Amino acid sequence: MTDISYLLLVMVVMTVATYATRLTPFLLFSRDQERALINFIAKNTPPMIMTILVIYMLKGVNYLSFEGVYTFIAILATVVFHLYKRNALLSIIAGTAVYMIAVQI
Amino acid sequence: MIRSVIKTTLPILFGFLPLGIAFGILFQELGYPWYFATLMGICVYAGAAQFMAVGMLGAGVGLFEIAISTFFLNSRHLFYGLALLNSFGAWGLRKFYLIFGLTDETYALMTTIKVPQEFNRERYYFLITLFSQSYWVLGCSIGALASSSLNFNTEGMDFAATALFTVLLIEQWLKVRKPLPFVVAFGSSCLALILFFQHMLLAAIVLSITTIIVLRFIKSKKND
Repeated sequence: MTDISYLLLVMVVMTVATYATRLTPFLLFSRDQERALINFIAKNTPPMIMTILVIYMLKGVNYLSFEGVYTFIAILATVVFHLYKRNALLSIIAGTAVYMIAVQI
Repeated sequence: MIRSVIKTTLPILFGFLPLGIAFGILFQELGYPWYFATLMGICVYAGAAQFMAVGMLGAGVGLFEIAISTFFLNSRHLFYGLALLNSFGAWGLRKFYLIFGLTDETYALMTTIKVPQEFNRERYYFLITLFSQSYWVLGCSIGALASSSLNFNTEGMDFAATALFTVLLIEQWLKVRKPLPFVVAFGSSCLALILFFQHMLLAAIVLSITTIIVLRFIKSKKND
């Protein structure tokens, strides 16, 4: 097997495996299906997953270094901006700019 | 509509572009032609899995192992679809693409934002997905093409993803206004961090969904 064909096979396998994870729930549960439990899960997953994603993004930060301080300040900037202006784009740009300036200087 | 979608997906651009570039640079070290990085961004379209693939390709890992690892790494998507069952419209090519392009970032956007009234929801979601993937493919390509000559310092730009999730978390709070799911998710995350640091994301999702179902069950028992 040459290198390229190995690479292509890996890509096919990964494409199928990734798509399978995304497609499965749509195949298992039909839309318009009134199932109390599924609706309950559907309603509660977004707030839960958003909480988890934020914590997940912060888990790799080294809190005993400047990185931790920068992260804290950048998050604070994002939150303050967002509560003040409630413009998602502005808050994200502000937070990211604060972080980039902090780590690059 | 396109202007509105670009504005909505701009945070994804800031997140995907540097991450894609990082992937392209890493991928280039394997010695394949640059356009395979592009192809991977188009077909596989999964951040973490693509980074994992670089290591596995380098080590020549077997296909079966790659399939299993990819599936488990991305298995959090199994839960994403649940919240979007009724949002993607009727079965058709568009729906298949919307599902194909479901990532952490697009999921977060679609479950939080309100589609402006004048636009058709499914078309709006389609453009969000298409634009997001374009940013990713662009990033992968730039990284692989210019791996040696890139000058712009993108260090810290990946914070955009954290900022995006933070903003969407605030929006979720303003929308839901019940502490329970947030508290459950926070507790599950802490437990998952302690027990399964490496696989924290999936562990926390499974744990929090299980917990909230159990809580609901207990509550309905009490009411009986």
